[in-house]
Amino acid sequence: MHKRGLGSDGAAPYVLLFPLIILLAAFILYPVAMNLFSSFTQWKGYGPQKWIGFDNYVKMFQDTAFWTSLQNTLVLALYIPIGTFFTLLIAALIREGIKGWKVYRAILYVPNLLGYVIMGVIFSIYLRDDGALNVLIKAAAGSPLHFLIDPVLAINTIGFSLVVWLHLGFGLIYFLAAMNSIEPSIYEAALVDGAGFWKTFTNVTVPSVRFAIEFFVVFNFIEVFARMFPFIYTLTQGGPGYSTFTLEYGIFAQAFQKFQVGYASAWSMVLFIFCAVISTLQIRMMRRREA
Amino acid sequence: MKKSSVFTLGTRVTVQVLMIVLVLASLLPLYNIVSASFKTADEFTSNPISLPQTVTWDNYHYAAISGKLLAYTLNSFLFVPAALLLYIAVCVSAGYAFGKLRFALRTPLFLLVLFLSIFPQLLLATQVFKMISSLHLTNTGLGVILSWVAYFAPFGTYIMTTFFAEMPYELIESARIDGAGPYRILLTIMAPLAQPMIATIAIIGFQAMWNELPFSLLILQEQAQRTLTVGIALMKGEFGLRVPILSAALVIAMIVPLAIFLFFQRYITLGVTAGAIKG
Repeated sequence: MHKRGLGSDGAAPYVLLFPLIILLAAFILYPVAMNLFSSFTQWKGYGPQKWIGFDNYVKMFQDTAFWTSLQNTLVLALYIPIGTFFTLLIAALIREGIKGWKVYRAILYVPNLLGYVIMGVIFSIYLRDDGALNVLIKAAAGSPLHFLIDPVLAINTIGFSLVVWLHLGFGLIYFLAAMNSIEPSIYEAALVDGAGFWKTFTNVTVPSVRFAIEFFVVFNFIEVFARMFPFIYTLTQGGPGYSTFTLEYGIFAQAFQKFQVGYASAWSMVLFIFCAVISTLQIRMMRRREA
Repeated sequence: MKKSSVFTLGTRVTVQVLMIVLVLASLLPLYNIVSASFKTADEFTSNPISLPQTVTWDNYHYAAISGKLLAYTLNSFLFVPAALLLYIAVCVSAGYAFGKLRFALRTPLFLLVLFLSIFPQLLLATQVFKMISSLHLTNTGLGVILSWVAYFAPFGTYIMTTFFAEMPYELIESARIDGAGPYRILLTIMAPLAQPMIATIAIIGFQAMWNELPFSLLILQEQAQRTLTVGIALMKGEFGLRVPILSAALVIAMIVPLAIFLFFQRYITLGVTAGAIKG
């Protein structure tokens, strides 16, 4: 370990950090601070801002769209443990080697590559009532599934496709990399002890990749709370009704479709609190790993 | 080296079959789009999933020219590489400062960068738009470039910081004894050694900016300025339910990300693990 605190590098660090700090101040710090201020005002996004105290918050807590959006966001979050377990299990199953893995890996990674906008539009075609998947379902079961039309099914369709399905390739590469750093002798010892797959999975694999699991879970929380707007925008546009509104999508709808920017800022403050908690957890994890 | 196995042959076959099913299931939507893109509107209605009976290129022609996809692609090729150069410069210099230099505010500033790295774009969007307007940069490449670099740089900085932090100090010490200052050490010693990691954050940054929607949607409101991603996102509304044309547009939009993947697969795999797993 290098001895720290022996003097400093003078002005150089600040010069090197200057571009980053200026950009962050202008495009992240200042917006977050101004957002707090806006949440106490009535404002269209242009023109004068009128101070109205807590009115936006009172209105928000009485707004069914807000509670639906919050509930939907939490429904999506419930898919995180499912997706994590599913991905981890498949990674453990193919850890020992599988024919064609390089090709499978490339194919399963394609959704991550194409991004939420392209995948959202593709799924909006694929999952339509008369889309390809429903042609197959109709042939097998007689009637189609209204993936994007039924309000309850719609939010669950998004939960499954975004949290479980689209991240499968990413998750497998990620978990397999973590599993590859486990000492092979631990697995050999488990085998000698007569432990089967399940016992090895719970007693060896999961504890050994604990950090990777934590990161994957936090990554998914960030996706659900802070990154999935483009997917909903292209797949359901929040509909039918408010049934696939999330906090993020609600902010977009209030601010850029209804031009109630002050009101949208109150929603943003709720999302800010969730994200601040997630961010703090993530930082604690990163620091613990560095220690 | 052969790994020890708890699986019988039967289990191994089951796992293999499971993987093939998963792969086929994820290929199905892509196949659906590609085959639809070669069908006429009439054929798609009567035959949504089989291979096209007669192949037509009209959808591609329409999407690329009338749908302006070609123009949007050019915009993306103008804005994204320019943003990427700025992003790399910002992340590498900041990562070097955080990872290898000593200064009083090192820890608090680094924590601030980490803290700011996850906030949703929608939370920032109204104020970012206001900022860009007051700089008279709406509908300009520079406007989106600044907003992209600001938003994506914290994560790239984090990756570069962990990379530089693990490089041996001896390299710096001996250069210092030779009289090199921090800038020269960065440019002549550190940056060349960091090339694989710079390639990794370049790929991460490229994908993030190429696929970025909220900021570009707001900042680039003139149709002529749209990026490919904005164009695709708005096309659904503009083309209505003309699925074959929309499908052709999607196939065109897939080409660049897939080409990047084929050429830089190594760095993409590195990128998946760089954020968290060390060593």
